[in-house]
Amino acid sequence: MSLEVRELHVAVEGKEILRGVNLKVGKGEVHALMGPNGSGKSTLAYTLMGHPKYQVTSGDILVDGESILTLTPDKRARKGLFLAFQYPVSVQGVSMFSFLRAAYNSAHAQSQPTIFEFKEKLNEKLKMLGMGEEILNRYLNEGFSGGEKKRAEILQMALIEPKYAVLDETDSGLDIDALRIVAEGINKLSGPERGILLITHYQRILRYVKPQFVHVMYEGKIIESGGEELSRLLEEKGYSWIKGYKGEEVSAEV
Amino acid sequence: MSELLGDFSESSIKEVSTSLKEPEWLLRFRLKSFEYFLSLPPETNPLYTKYAYVSQFNIPDFPYSGSGRQLDFRSTFEGYLIGNETNIAISANENVMHTELEADVEGRGVVVLPLSQAVSRYESRLREIFSRKVVRSENEKFAAFVNAFFNTGLYIHVPDGISLGKPLRKLRLTDRPETSIIDQTVIEVGEDSSLVFLEEEYSKNDSDKAIHASNLDVLGGRNSSVDISSVHMLGPEVVSITNRGLRLDEGCRITDSSLYLGSSVSRARTNFLLSGRGAFAEGFEIFFTDGKQRYDFETNLLHHSQDTTGSTHARGVLRGESQSIYKGMIKIVETAKNSRSYLAHHAMILERTAKSDAIPGLEIDTNEVKATHSASVAQLDEEQLFYLMSRGIEQEEARKMIVLGFFEPVLSRIPVEETREGTRFMIEGKWHREKRRLVDRISVLGFAEEARHEVRQKEDIFERHYKYR
Ligand SMILES: Nc1ncnc2c1ncn2[C@@H]1O[C@H](COP(=O)(O)OP(=O)(O)OP(=O)(O)O)[C@@H](O)[C@H]1O
Ligand SMILES: [Mg+2]
Repeated sequence: MSLEVRELHVAVEGKEILRGVNLKVGKGEVHALMGPNGSGKSTLAYTLMGHPKYQVTSGDILVDGESILTLTPDKRARKGLFLAFQYPVSVQGVSMFSFLRAAYNSAHAQSQPTIFEFKEKLNEKLKMLGMGEEILNRYLNEGFSGGEKKRAEILQMALIEPKYAVLDETDSGLDIDALRIVAEGINKLSGPERGILLITHYQRILRYVKPQFVHVMYEGKIIESGGEELSRLLEEKGYSWIKGYKGEEVSAEV
Repeated sequence: MSELLGDFSESSIKEVSTSLKEPEWLLRFRLKSFEYFLSLPPETNPLYTKYAYVSQFNIPDFPYSGSGRQLDFRSTFEGYLIGNETNIAISANENVMHTELEADVEGRGVVVLPLSQAVSRYESRLREIFSRKVVRSENEKFAAFVNAFFNTGLYIHVPDGISLGKPLRKLRLTDRPETSIIDQTVIEVGEDSSLVFLEEEYSKNDSDKAIHASNLDVLGGRNSSVDISSVHMLGPEVVSITNRGLRLDEGCRITDSSLYLGSSVSRARTNFLLSGRGAFAEGFEIFFTDGKQRYDFETNLLHHSQDTTGSTHARGVLRGESQSIYKGMIKIVETAKNSRSYLAHHAMILERTAKSDAIPGLEIDTNEVKATHSASVAQLDEEQLFYLMSRGIEQEEARKMIVLGFFEPVLSRIPVEETREGTRFMIEGKWHREKRRLVDRISVLGFAEEARHEVRQKEDIFERHYKYR
């Protein structure tokens, strides 16, 4: 049981961005994906979720052995895939509450809870993430601070309980307390039922969320993979020592 | 001229005036208006003439008065009324078939009468009103048209010091293959009084071919409070014209919300005349078009006195090959110091074949005011769609959420709950291409449950961004 990416090539508006990515995230595993700005991490995340702008020119994406390439984003979500966005968009006029309810009902088509059961579940998740109920009456992500947006992404993940979650820089823009709360939330949700791909620039979240695997993406390819020690190595030495890295000295941010 | 206007001639004006037993002064008013109608072009403002085609139509396509077949009241309005309505005026075509006021409402001196009856019963009052009409013939061809040819209408009067808790309603149905309904309605609300007025228009049959033209004068007395709402759901063969003038005396507060969903062509002019000190007006124009519908709006906020506040919020969604033009102007005269004005038009286009334009403008002759206008036309945002779909929400459902959500920032400001919820209900019907009626809302459940979580983000439009001073 895994989320598997095979020899994936992706182009945006005719320009090739991913150039043969291979990755396999098994259930129960946490993978960290690092790499300098513009290396293609978000492109991979969007492509996994089926963003129409990102064209798969060759290769495949499989969820539990089944190709999802032809599926629309909503169907991918219902296969158990989730993406916490690096930059979540806002939608005017759609209340957080009605959105969460629609998302929950889509993900759990078999068990449509009553509004009261749903509220109860929702309140429990809000509490876990240290969020207030007021947020439910606001428009979806509208006027949210950077940190509020990131928490709201994790709230959605907690409600939907996906099989495979891709978290694109969910740790960026969080203050120290928020980082701990979000990381604890991720930890609570990780487990044998779930595979997590954590895209990050920072070592600090990896102090809370322990990945078994760390990958480095560079110019549309994964150029290095290793265990947790790799992230510490990156923190100390940057990317330049990695074989295949051609750029100037850039150190991974800490 | 006559062949260009079909049935709409001076002799038919004389005929209708005679048949309604009108006094001489009213006939003269009609004939004078007819002159204006003949001489005015459809669009007088050179800034707007480029878009005059949007509401173009052919007057002689319609007969002036239809052959008055007798309608059975019950069967005609079945499905449009619950049956226990009170405080209501009900019309089929140009016939006001039924008006009913609760005893205590009538006892407090409230008047709801067909206009022709009001003219004979309250002649001097009506003559006075007609001499200072807000919807005037001088500058607008189709206001003049209605002033010349009106064959129906109401006079509504709430005397001084009377607050009506319950809304007054006006319901109109077209039910004739070809007809012209030309409506002159006057609403007069006395000092320290309040009124909630809800208007609905439907066509019984999609094939009903009609010109539906109306003038509405709203006279808000000192310190009165008036909430008006209208739902325009006329059929696909109806040309709809509305000219509305709302005059606000000192301390008067008016909100006016209009929902436009029906008709092939819709031409709406709304003038808020803030003539008394401290007057407050807030307008909402909401539209949703599809097919080949053509909508032409012009809304003006005219500040004539100090300390006045005016705002108007237009929002529309366009599908198919439909199109809209919105013209909005804020005018603040020199003596209207310390006034605030806000005008916004935002449209969303769902298909590339649809088209929407907006021309907002400001004319300000004094300092010490705040005035803002904004306008935008955008397509449905693909990134929003992707975001919602990435949460498992199907494409059509996601599109619906975005489109209905687009109306919310304006909808949530509408103060009368019945209007707010009714508008939501009707818009959702339009999305599903259903021909809903407000009365159906009562039988459709599922709204109440969500309503408690409804968003009420009322940003202060004047404190946020303002461009002018
Ligand atoms: N929609 C798009 N249109 C045009 N170019 C794009 C688009 N999406 C990504 N790119 C380009 O693809 C490259 C990879 O971008 P991507 O966002 O995947 O990088 P990233 O690794 O997530 O970077 P960061 O660490 O800054 O978030 C960049 O050069 C970017 O400009
Ligand atoms: Mg990125």
